[in-house]
Amino acid sequence: MTSATVTSPRPAGSLDRREPDRPVGGALRRLLPLFPALVLLVVFMAGPILWSVYIAFTNETLTGAASVNSRFVGLGNFVKMFGDEDFRNSFLLTFIFVIGSAVIGQNTLGLVIALLQRGRARAVRSVVNGVVIAAWVVPEVVAAACWYSFLAEEGTLNEVLAGLGFSQDWLYSAPMIAIILANVWRGTAFSMLVYSAALSDVPADLLEAASVDGASGWSRLVHITLPLIRRSIMSNLMLITLQTLASFGLIYALTGGGPGTASQTTPLYMYEQAFRYFEIGYGSAMALVMLVIGALFSMVYLRLIKADA
Amino acid sequence: MRRAMVASILAVAVAAAAGACGGDSAEKGASGAKEIEVLYKVEPTWPHLEKMLKQAKTQYEAAHKGVTIKLTAVQGGNEVYYTKLALLNRSADSAPDVYLHDTFQVNADVAAGKLAPLDDYLKTWPDWSSQYSEAVQQAAKGPDGKIYGVPISTDTRGLWYNKDVFAKAGIQVPWEPKTWADVLTAARAIKQKVPGVQPFNMYSTKPLGEAATMQGFEMLLYGASGGTLYDETQKKWVAGGKAFTDSLAFINTIYREGLGPKPADAFDPKLGDKVGNWFAAGKLGIGLDGAWASASWKPGTAVKPWPEWTEKMGWTKMPTQNGEAPGAVSMSGGWVMAMSSYAKDKKDAFDFITIATNKENTLLYSLGSGDLAPRKDVAADPQYTAGNPSVKFWTDLASVTHYRPAYEVYPKVSAEVQKAMEAMTTGSKAPDAAAKEYADALPGVVGGPDKVLAGS
Repeated sequence: MTSATVTSPRPAGSLDRREPDRPVGGALRRLLPLFPALVLLVVFMAGPILWSVYIAFTNETLTGAASVNSRFVGLGNFVKMFGDEDFRNSFLLTFIFVIGSAVIGQNTLGLVIALLQRGRARAVRSVVNGVVIAAWVVPEVVAAACWYSFLAEEGTLNEVLAGLGFSQDWLYSAPMIAIILANVWRGTAFSMLVYSAALSDVPADLLEAASVDGASGWSRLVHITLPLIRRSIMSNLMLITLQTLASFGLIYALTGGGPGTASQTTPLYMYEQAFRYFEIGYGSAMALVMLVIGALFSMVYLRLIKADA
Repeated sequence: MRRAMVASILAVAVAAAAGACGGDSAEKGASGAKEIEVLYKVEPTWPHLEKMLKQAKTQYEAAHKGVTIKLTAVQGGNEVYYTKLALLNRSADSAPDVYLHDTFQVNADVAAGKLAPLDDYLKTWPDWSSQYSEAVQQAAKGPDGKIYGVPISTDTRGLWYNKDVFAKAGIQVPWEPKTWADVLTAARAIKQKVPGVQPFNMYSTKPLGEAATMQGFEMLLYGASGGTLYDETQKKWVAGGKAFTDSLAFINTIYREGLGPKPADAFDPKLGDKVGNWFAAGKLGIGLDGAWASASWKPGTAVKPWPEWTEKMGWTKMPTQNGEAPGAVSMSGGWVMAMSSYAKDKKDAFDFITIATNKENTLLYSLGSGDLAPRKDVAADPQYTAGNPSVKFWTDLASVTHYRPAYEVYPKVSAEVQKAMEAMTTGSKAPDAAAKEYADALPGVVGGPDKVLAGS
């Protein structure tokens, strides 16, 4: 009751004075329910991230004397990284993997499937959607196991090819193609869904008008459909690029980065350094570089989206 | 009302978070009962240690009321186990009290203060002086001269060969190669005369980890004249040199001539399991491997028993490069039961180690795993030698065996060796180029050029 006497004069006398501080109080009140979630996020997400940024500048290891007495080494890890042949190799492979499986593979295939499905019978669409999405819902490790049994030396592909006489161990002879194919197979569903949604927004009358004017299927695609869904293309590219950049489980389960370092993308090299050779500081430094690369990619895509709008 | 709800949600969240962080220790304290956590590794093809620890748990809990043994298994091979253990050991809350430890990792953990010295407890344990030879006692000796683990196994390494394959290749048994060239000659004969059989097997890639460095490379290097990774007198790591290049050249020959495993197999972390099956199926001629290999054939312990192995398999010493004295080479390592420096009830934890490594349990483990028994009473037990005619041979190899320079940086040096071996496996580099790369990388790995000696 005492508090009521303090607050009650307000509505009557001072509307003008009260108005400016209302957003602050209101915002605070609205943020209050978020507070527990924020605390958890800070403790369990921002904390580890900041810690990993910090240890990227130290010689922290998981075992040995440096694991208890790590010291600040400045940019030492980064200098070492750019002189490290294996890191440069992994970086190049990551680039090939992202371009090959995400930007070209998933993106194009997803768009093609979405385009082909336009105007088809419902049954056809559900079957195709079902098959494509099935590849997406299986866990990474299961997808890798499927591809392993398909490509392995005594796998399905070689059984089929045996008659033709060029059976070989594909995971050994063409590991990059193997992981790119597997990732395209698994990830196409996402792009397909994004493009299906985008294509349904392309006005049918526009396309009809174009065909009345005599535009071919190809020029309708290039001059009408693609420009209209450009923003979806950019968002899709951004999402799948970031996802593929960090891809680990599929490659790890399929080739383990091998043979040798032939399919060792940066996330795998990072894992090997951090958890196999216990150089957690060095591994974190690499993670930081990957973070920057990811950020650069997104900035480019975001800029392109804005330029369109 | 709403505020109260928020407050209660917050309280629950904080409690949950706190619980997630420190639940384990709180639980122990509250119940009053003591719990000792024991970490070890297990694989479907390697259940031997688990059997031994379960037996030890039963014995221990019967004798120590109020103390429970919590057995925590890590599923997977050695490399997986090292990683898991290193991660658990980062915090006192998650560190196991007692754990299986590979001797080559001991120094790194001593340097980090993760291990408890056992000397004071060992004094009170009569078995230590009566059953363990002086050499065995030093298996887990730290740089400070203290003992950090009780050995459960030791091992030696040499050559296994399949007599049927040798008969088909027209090679006389018993086979006693005197030089590396003799080994290659036999492998070439098998390749030529017994199609469909892999002539020679060795581990030579990173997925095989320490097995590649130790069973593969060091078995060659320490048998070459002047070959060593570390110069004990000058306390420096040896960078390359002739012995190093020659060892790589041997591996290179194996792969370039198609005498070794197929590339895909060479990179398979499960190659060790495959080797046992290949020998049994007569698909492999010679294997550079360890004393324990017979465990994969012995009835009673093997997943796929092959009782005929005592007749069909031969075993012989790995020769030195050109037959240099003492004529043979072997490497020894082994595993110990170690105690964490974070263990709360150290006396109870040590008591568990003594029970786990008593005669009965060591015997159970040695019979299953095929590892050499570190205890004298187990080695003398008729059960130990029965059913394994090779055990005397492997035990006697101790006279020519070498130990790894298991200093703190050794695991990193080992990784560099694996890199060089892998280049031989794939053929991406010539032996001298890979040896040079090793020499170039070494200073960065061992902590400066002043700790490195140029190889001769």
